[in-house]
Amino acid sequence: MSQTARSAGNSNQQRTFMTRLKKNYIGWIFILLSVLGIGLFYFYPMVQAFLLSLRSGMGANLEFVGFDNYVRLFSDPTFITSLTNTFIYLLVQVPVMILLALFFSVLLNDPKLKFRGFFRTAIFLPAVTSLVAYAVIFKYLFGNDGLVNEFLLGMNLISTPLNWLSDPVLAKITIIIAITWRWTGYNMIFYLSALQNVDKSMYEAARIDGASSIQQFFFITIPLLKPIILFTSIVSTIGTLQLFDEVMNITNGGPGNATMSISMYIYNLSFEYTPDFGYAATVSYVIVVLVVILSFLQFRVAGDRD
Amino acid sequence: MGKKIWLFIVVLLTTFLLAACGGGNSEESSSGDASETTADGATKIVAWAWDPNFNIAALNLASENYNGDTEIELEVIENAQDDIVQKLNTGLSSGTMKGMPNLVLIEDQRAQSFLQSYPDAFYPIGDYFNPEDFADYKLAPTSLEGEQYGLPFDTGATGFFYRTDYLEEAGYTHDDLVDLTWAEFVEIAKDVKEQTGHAMLALDPNDLGILRIMMQTTGTWYTTEDGTINLADNEPLKRALEHYKELMDNDLVKLVSDWSQYLAAFNSGDVASVPAGNWIAPSIEAEESQSGLWAVAPIPRLDMEGAVNASNHGGSSWYVLNIDGKEAAAEFLGNTFGSNVDFYQSLLTDVGAIGTYIPASEGDAYQFENEFFGGQKVIYDISQWMEEIPQVDYGMNTYGIEDIISAELQQYLNGKSLEDMLADAQAQAEAQFK
Repeated sequence: MSQTARSAGNSNQQRTFMTRLKKNYIGWIFILLSVLGIGLFYFYPMVQAFLLSLRSGMGANLEFVGFDNYVRLFSDPTFITSLTNTFIYLLVQVPVMILLALFFSVLLNDPKLKFRGFFRTAIFLPAVTSLVAYAVIFKYLFGNDGLVNEFLLGMNLISTPLNWLSDPVLAKITIIIAITWRWTGYNMIFYLSALQNVDKSMYEAARIDGASSIQQFFFITIPLLKPIILFTSIVSTIGTLQLFDEVMNITNGGPGNATMSISMYIYNLSFEYTPDFGYAATVSYVIVVLVVILSFLQFRVAGDRD
Repeated sequence: MGKKIWLFIVVLLTTFLLAACGGGNSEESSSGDASETTADGATKIVAWAWDPNFNIAALNLASENYNGDTEIELEVIENAQDDIVQKLNTGLSSGTMKGMPNLVLIEDQRAQSFLQSYPDAFYPIGDYFNPEDFADYKLAPTSLEGEQYGLPFDTGATGFFYRTDYLEEAGYTHDDLVDLTWAEFVEIAKDVKEQTGHAMLALDPNDLGILRIMMQTTGTWYTTEDGTINLADNEPLKRALEHYKELMDNDLVKLVSDWSQYLAAFNSGDVASVPAGNWIAPSIEAEESQSGLWAVAPIPRLDMEGAVNASNHGGSSWYVLNIDGKEAAAEFLGNTFGSNVDFYQSLLTDVGAIGTYIPASEGDAYQFENEFFGGQKVIYDISQWMEEIPQVDYGMNTYGIEDIISAELQQYLNGKSLEDMLADAQAQAEAQFK
């Protein structure tokens, strides 16, 4: 008796499920396509990369080593150097770039400014150049006989050419200048579009209350742009963690390992040294973990609205 | 009814998607894939190489000179060296040999890494030529476990190229510059700087080629023959680093950060000498206004027992991949690079490539008196030095170890002690390449 009741209930449930499925099957099929696509081209490689990170060896002779690769990270000085370098880029470059982008966007949002369109385009233009092309140009600009040195020498600011690319500190500065140049305009566009949505009456009211423009900036503009600032800083953080083209082309990681980034180390492990794809996959997973942690932190610090 | 049409569209889209995914495989095999037979019955061989003016020109010349039994049609695909390394690594590690070439050029210092990382990917070609006809130092990097895999190609035999006018001004004649030690080289560099104001040489801090040149004059390397990492107690490396630091500290070096700046340093007349592989000669000669102002002496040696005034800098060899068409590819190599003395003469006159095939050095082309170098028989001299180059086993980790050293080198230049620097480098390298 109870058994028949249960099976009846079961088939009842099944029937409602089936009818619902039938009703929506076209929707399901549409979703299925993208789910399959994402699963096949995103999640499957991610799982495979994780499995690969548990193996180690030269080229095709990979052996299962469990978490040895992850332990190895902590005693690998090149990895630690590249991690430190990446964080130096991150901590110096992202704030500088965000502030510059904010500064430019507020300036360019001034309705009284002439040639606004021209300035906006000029500042955004670096963002459309190819990474490799601009990196090569920076390499020549900052070379020993490059334009920057010529300029500084001509202005009598320095007496001998600076070794921009072969001094550990200056090389890092060169990289930071390069990425800032490339990405400031890109971030500025986000702020500009956000500023268009800010109600002008707020500034008017502030002015009537006697707020200076600096106060307006800090107490109206910044709080209203907070979600966009959060978004751009997360995107920039992820971008910096994946930094590769600039380092590869401008300094090739040198001098020594002074400008090596994590991505470049992954490249070296796979293609420059005797390949160890397992360990390279492990280092790649470090980037994944870092992106998750840093994004979480940024959400925590800046995300809550009240 | 409406639903059926939707279903139909979905099915249609799915079919397209699947067709698009599957289609790629069947089409790609038609072009660029290795080893097919062409319409006229010749076996097609695909080769990957870099540098159209040098390696690829040599391949094409070989194709013209080939006169073996199997008919062969050679297709050369040009790639940058870095791209070849990448494509080989990704292709071979994926386990399929699809899309791989029959012939590939690999730099000697990378060869062991490929041979050991991908067993069975390369075809032993020792039966197609006589390895003993080639310069000794080329054989260790190109063979593995007694099997010859590579056919030695160009030599990286080094020379000490110098500006005769600058050196004369500093008080040195050619005889003073023959068979130097590196310690003497540094002293001469100081004189040159003092008398002429020119730096002695240009160096890129990212490229430690000069250390390898110094070290190989004694037949030592970063690793020993059994693969043990040899840095902390490596006396030749210590000496080389001391010389390097002395050159840097006394401002005798013009620092450059890439290849074109390196070339510009001597083409513009900034530096007084270029100690490098002989393949730099065409670049020196490119500046015609300096004709007659250059000469070449044997490379300095380290001041140690057993050191010779000969070393190596770069150079690569040909490899055959273990896929269909391997016999034809090996026969092609054996017939041209492996045995044809006349071919080597035209290789020299047409391409300017000095091979490592010893019987070739008796040919006429090697006797050429080069006006640019004041009538010196540069090629003959280099081929003589080539035979003396001490053989070293480059092992698998040359570039990996070198990155560690170049990081430590910065600290050494900034005052860290040599012992600490090498001990740290040793520990790092051992951790990384166990």
